[in-house]
Amino acid sequence: MNDTDRASKITAIIEAYPADRRFALAAMQDMQHEFNYIPEEGLVALADYLDCSKAHLYSMATFYKALSLTPKGEHIIKICNGTACHLRGSVNLATELKRILDIEPGQTSADGEFSVEYVNCLGSCALAPVMVVDGVYHNKLKVDQISGIVESYRTDDSKDVVSND
Amino acid sequence: MSDLLNITIDGRPCTCEAGEYLYDVAERNGIHIPALCRSDAFEDHRACCRVCIVEVEERGRRKVVTSCVYPVERECTVYTNSEKIAEERAVTLALLSKRAPESETIAAMAREAGGAEGFDRLVTLDGEKCILCGLCVQACDSLGTGAISTVNRGVDKMVSTPYDKPSADCIGCLSCANVCPTGAIEYAQDATSRTIWNRTFELALCERCGSPMGTKDAVHRAAQQAGVEEPRICDACRKRELADEMMHTYRYV
Ligand code: SF4
Ligand code: FES
Ligand code: FES
Repeated sequence: MNDTDRASKITAIIEAYPADRRFALAAMQDMQHEFNYIPEEGLVALADYLDCSKAHLYSMATFYKALSLTPKGEHIIKICNGTACHLRGSVNLATELKRILDIEPGQTSADGEFSVEYVNCLGSCALAPVMVVDGVYHNKLKVDQISGIVESYRTDDSKDVVSND
Repeated sequence: MSDLLNITIDGRPCTCEAGEYLYDVAERNGIHIPALCRSDAFEDHRACCRVCIVEVEERGRRKVVTSCVYPVERECTVYTNSEKIAEERAVTLALLSKRAPESETIAAMAREAGGAEGFDRLVTLDGEKCILCGLCVQACDSLGTGAISTVNRGVDKMVSTPYDKPSADCIGCLSCANVCPTGAIEYAQDATSRTIWNRTFELALCERCGSPMGTKDAVHRAAQQAGVEEPRICDACRKRELADEMMHTYRYV
């Protein structure tokens, strides 16, 4: 995405809302969706539009786990670390992902393809341990299933279509 | 609203208006309650340090309240240093000492409170002075500067400028550093400049005596907000000038 593209996308996102501070979170969420993070110029533009301080938005953006100020990976892998999943070995899922992708929860792979994060109970405790990739639930996971799942999301030059299983 | 209430604080009869904060009533009557996160500069208080707790007895019931934000609504008896309060305040201060071990103010208050046992196992945050009360952010916001805010949450929470970068919004006025109860905000100053929040500001010097009047940005902002011209000489010199003028005038009366 080039700079003008990005700038016009930011403007479109921001101006979809009335210039009222209570829409700050909604606009930032939209940016997060669009860019996988909130670019600094987006935060600055929003502060201008809402006539509030940058510090105020920065505070909000760092408060909510759903918002990120650094680019997130194209695919987001969420490991549930709620009580049930924790007891059923969510840590092992993290260790396996660390082996495959070389990143810890909270980090993004160097190629920008994957982000791994810990989340709290996803409400599917009976199916623990749970891992969610781009919104798709993978239940009762065994460690040896992980690499298959990850590979199915990897955009490989040699393979155009990303299979789903 | 102007109903007067008679209350007793530590055995001393005090009069106050309904809705007045207990802390203010006590102070007005010369009774000091230890406090960290409240400042006279603001009407609304942070109410986060909990050092200012007191015990209130109303209609035969006793409860612990945060005096800086507790509005007196009916006649009551207040104990600012009952056994229960002394104990709880000591615990609060012991915890704050763990959080902000570098703060002399907190250390002194904790000593005064007599200390509390059993917190050795807690981790001390090395080098920390900040108790995250947010007074500095409130001060910055109240000036309309909005250069700093709390960042992150939970154990990672701190006060900073956006992206930890020098902020274009900051005017180097020191409001944050001055209001901070623990002296947590560091700055450096020499004859011509001041550095705070990673940014260095030029100082405005009095054209007469050469003493600093604040950063150029802060002097500019203050004049702008007051709708007056920027001062070229400091307060002390201006007063001297005024006095000279008066003397001059009265000599001919
Ligand atoms: S720096 Fe000082 S005023 Fe600001 S939050 Fe920390 S203790 Fe409070
Ligand atoms: S703990 Fe993972 S779904 Fe509830
Ligand atoms: S002074 Fe009242 S809670 Fe801090």
